[in-house]
Amino acid sequence: MTASPFEIEIPRGRVIEVQRDDTRVRWGGGLLRGMAVVWKHWKESFKLNRSYSQIHGTFTIEYPEEQPRIPEAYRNMPILLYDDETGHELCTSCFQCERICPPQVIHMTQAKDPATGKPVPAVAEFIIEYDACMSCGFCAEVCPFDAIKMDHEFELSTDDHTRLTVHKEQLLRPISYYAKIAPTMWAEVRESALKKLQGNVRRRPDVIGLAPQLTEKIAARRAELAAQAVQAAQAAAAAPAAPAAAPAEGRKLTPEEKAAKLAAIRAAKTAQAGESATPAEAAPAPPSPAPAGEAAPSADKAAKLAAIRAANAAKKAAAGEAPATLPVAPADGMAGDTPADAPPAAPPADKAARLAAIRAANAAKKQQSGDGS
Amino acid sequence: MYDMLTALINGALGWGWPEWALNLLSYILIVTIVLVVAPLQMLFFTYYERRVIARMQDRVGPNRVGPEGIWQPIADGVKMFTKEDIVPQAADRIVHFLAPCVVVAPTVLMFAVVPWGPGMVPVDLPTGLLFFFAISSISAVGLMMAGWASNNKFSLLGAMRAVAQMVSYEIPAVLSLIAIVIIVGSLSINEIIAYQAGLIISNRDLPGVPDLGLGWFVFTPVGFVAFVAFFIAALAEGERTPFDIPEADSEIVAGYMTEYSGMKFGLFYLAQYVLNFLLCAITAIIFFGGWQGPGVGWLYAQGITPANPNGNGLFNVLAGILGVFYFLLKTYIFFFVMVWLRGAFPRLRIDQLMDFGWKFLIPWTLANLFSAALWVAFTRWGPAEGMLITVGWSPVLRWLAAFVVTLAINLGVYLWLTRVYAASQAERRRAELEELSAAA
Amino acid sequence: MLQTQELQVNIGPQHPSTHGVFRMLVTVDGETVVDLKPVFGYLHRNHEQIAEANSYLQNMPYTDRLDYFNSMANNHAYAMAVERLAGIEVPERAEYIRVLMVELTRILNHASAVGFMINDMGAWQTPLAFGMREREKILDLFEMASGARLMCNYFRFGGVVRDLPPEFIPNLRELLRALPAYIDELERLLRDNEILLQRAIGIGILPPEVALSYGVSGPVLRGSGIPYDVRKAEPYSVYDRFDFDVPIGKVGDVYDRFLVRIEEMRQSKRIIEQVLEQLPDAKGGHINPKARQNVRPPVGDAYARIESPKGELGFYLVSDGSTKPYRYKVRAPSFINLTPLADMCRGYKVADIVVILGSIDIVMGEVDR
Repeated sequence: MTASPFEIEIPRGRVIEVQRDDTRVRWGGGLLRGMAVVWKHWKESFKLNRSYSQIHGTFTIEYPEEQPRIPEAYRNMPILLYDDETGHELCTSCFQCERICPPQVIHMTQAKDPATGKPVPAVAEFIIEYDACMSCGFCAEVCPFDAIKMDHEFELSTDDHTRLTVHKEQLLRPISYYAKIAPTMWAEVRESALKKLQGNVRRRPDVIGLAPQLTEKIAARRAELAAQAVQAAQAAAAAPAAPAAAPAEGRKLTPEEKAAKLAAIRAAKTAQAGESATPAEAAPAPPSPAPAGEAAPSADKAAKLAAIRAANAAKKAAAGEAPATLPVAPADGMAGDTPADAPPAAPPADKAARLAAIRAANAAKKQQSGDGS
Repeated sequence: MYDMLTALINGALGWGWPEWALNLLSYILIVTIVLVVAPLQMLFFTYYERRVIARMQDRVGPNRVGPEGIWQPIADGVKMFTKEDIVPQAADRIVHFLAPCVVVAPTVLMFAVVPWGPGMVPVDLPTGLLFFFAISSISAVGLMMAGWASNNKFSLLGAMRAVAQMVSYEIPAVLSLIAIVIIVGSLSINEIIAYQAGLIISNRDLPGVPDLGLGWFVFTPVGFVAFVAFFIAALAEGERTPFDIPEADSEIVAGYMTEYSGMKFGLFYLAQYVLNFLLCAITAIIFFGGWQGPGVGWLYAQGITPANPNGNGLFNVLAGILGVFYFLLKTYIFFFVMVWLRGAFPRLRIDQLMDFGWKFLIPWTLANLFSAALWVAFTRWGPAEGMLITVGWSPVLRWLAAFVVTLAINLGVYLWLTRVYAASQAERRRAELEELSAAA
Repeated sequence: MLQTQELQVNIGPQHPSTHGVFRMLVTVDGETVVDLKPVFGYLHRNHEQIAEANSYLQNMPYTDRLDYFNSMANNHAYAMAVERLAGIEVPERAEYIRVLMVELTRILNHASAVGFMINDMGAWQTPLAFGMREREKILDLFEMASGARLMCNYFRFGGVVRDLPPEFIPNLRELLRALPAYIDELERLLRDNEILLQRAIGIGILPPEVALSYGVSGPVLRGSGIPYDVRKAEPYSVYDRFDFDVPIGKVGDVYDRFLVRIEEMRQSKRIIEQVLEQLPDAKGGHINPKARQNVRPPVGDAYARIESPKGELGFYLVSDGSTKPYRYKVRAPSFINLTPLADMCRGYKVADIVVILGSIDIVMGEVDR
């Protein structure tokens, strides 16, 4: 068969022709041998055998009762990580994953500072279409902040297709979860990831970047912020009215807004003044030192109290007009560095009070940073 | 059944029913039992097959419905019943509807002559074996009806194959059985079973052998060849691998069943498995003694029999239980072998199947027929029949001579046939190649 | 005189043994095949055009989906093409890991290909189940290394995405202990099986001249008796460092292809053993640290080919200097091996068609792209 045109030089190795012996007379021995092989499999199949070095025995994993062994590198669907302690998301919305994703199923919007409207290293909304995701793992590979990782959870079947468009709340997992499913892979990146996170947290105002489902953490953070605001407000109430018109000049403000801001600026000024005396009071929001879980209920209360107080202070200054500012606030958002940038949803009175407190705190900070530069 | 009912009603209870009433009652009971047992066997076989073949493939098999999946066939049945019954628009509706009935009816009828235990045969026909095979041939008509009425090319191909296969494989099946019939001298299935009393050697061939119910035909050269040939033919009749050509799923989708769904498909399925059960049963009966086994004969001899009307009815029941146990055990072992073959072998092509049937099995069974005649001549014939060699030989010597001669003939024919068959195959391949190259 | 009529039968696109959505328009005279027209394209996914809209790296997971049995081999060919285009060096260790993965792929592909072929012959799943069992073990290894069983997406430009995990090598060694037993058992189960011989010998003969003129490659070509193997003809990666033989057939029928596949599994095992010997000395990490994944290759073109389990798999890339390939072409072995199907089937029986198709070992994902 191998005529000369088909002679091919083979380096290192031979050309071997298969053994066929198809002219041999057969009497059925091959059939019996085949049956013997099957018999052996049948006989051995009554014992369970998961060893790689064996070819007999049942190797079935009876799935719902028994979970498959999943190696660390296993990748199913992408998830987002947040820090257990502070509740901060690792994602900074750098858009690397959105850009690399081959089927383009990742969508995100960057968070903006409500006070300034400037982008913040945090993500506002993050959507992954699980139904079209092909689990290639590129998003986890390119993520410079190790915020997006591949999950081991594979029981994703659902009768509701829309549930496969997954939003940030469902995507977020604590770091401890990922460290549990992939210990060595997390250990490799742990330090740099946490370091980068700390750097980013410093640049996140308000409660931006906190995992939205961690209401307690958010409340604690709010309390902390409010406490600062209260201090500022109290200081403002105690101190004589300062000449406050100057910073407010040149800004397009509605009359109602102006009144509210005035109070805030005043509070900020006094806070700044007080800073040199007592630095601890106006320290720029470090992560909450107390474990938030336990402190939360009392902290929550404190927050409300502080907020009400702050609101009262603000009201006093603005002649009870502060709530009225809220509906027009979105329009003001266009004004760039306007400190009073309320969220679009009109909150109830309690929320309004909190908002006022936050605004006051923001203004205080703004003032501080403005003076610092 | 009639004997037992007579003993129970007129004997133990002393009601004194007339004979016709007892007959009627016994037949109603028998028919009910057969109609209940047949589908139950089918249900069990589907489960059994799936579990066994799964084990052969290192799998577990169905184990979700009930303990170890024992209710799986019930779940399948429910599924079949609730499925929509689809008839293709271009199909011949009447024939399409009738075909499954024509296929199922004969398989149930065949139960009529199957003995389950000593004295436990629904109808003890003197021509039981003939009835069995005559009835089994009817289902070929049903298959053809199904294939034709479906108006589908795959169905028609499948039906053609099925009919061709069934018709050609009936010949070796019957030829191998005739060998046994020659030895026994009767077509009655009960007679064939009764002949197989003994220990390795039947006590009819060699009087004086103790009766342990183990004088099976398979231990004789004639019986062994007949058994192998019959079992191969049974595989073809029951459309089992390696002869499942009519429904070769990788070639013609599902053969004649392609256009059937719902319960009609279920009926085909039922017919097939019931037929498989019957073929396994008949193999067990003809070659492995049916209900014969250690103890059955002795127990039955103590019970109420036509020969021994004053026996104890309890022994009838005991013998029946033991007999049914032996019978079913053998049948299930044969079905295991069927599944085993299915697990191990690929499928033959239709022309190769025909080749094998006509060029190998039929000559072999014919030679076996000759061996059977010699067997009878050596063991039974005397000078009166013209058999002068064995005059004066002891029965043991006569049996031994019969054994050796038939073994030599069967073995020699087998070896010679493999050679001839291989040569014919090689020749055929060569001719085909020539034809191909000529065409190209 | 009886009038006979030729019958046209559509085998596929929905048919149990067409290995996906593939249609054969068969003209039969009785049971004999007079003519056969393969019709494909039912699984067309516009692979090449999509690739031209993606960046180079984004195409890597798409190559997994060409021949979904051999994603590692596809990755290898594509990575090689891009490396050639962009001039990326691959460290030695990465090359060894690549060879290891591709040879494991070959074993799993052949194990299941043999199983599928026997399945088409009518064996009720048993050889396939045995083949799948070995395949599962190898897929476990792939999962350990790459994170996925089928769509591995393991290769990157300049290496592989991550190094072998520590449990990989011990498990591989255990698997290698089982492999000879498995291959021997498969041979014992099937090699002398009279039924298989009847179905395989002299069926679907592809003469070497015809095979060459169609451009057939891989086990189908070697089954026809031509010892052509890209690993030998144009040693890429580190294949010039291993000893292995090239099995060839005598006649070029289904049986030869079956035997060649079984022998190739043995040879692949030999290569893997040599890889394990040489791997600890291999220099460099699993990936070239200088290699940028977001490549922007200079203007030019490159063709890279490997011996994939199914045949010669090639990727032809043209770069216009941007981050996306200007032209992206796959030379898919399944597709080219499928083209002589009509010539192989003509004159045989209907039942042989599926066996011949099974012996070519196609994956529709690669045929239709």
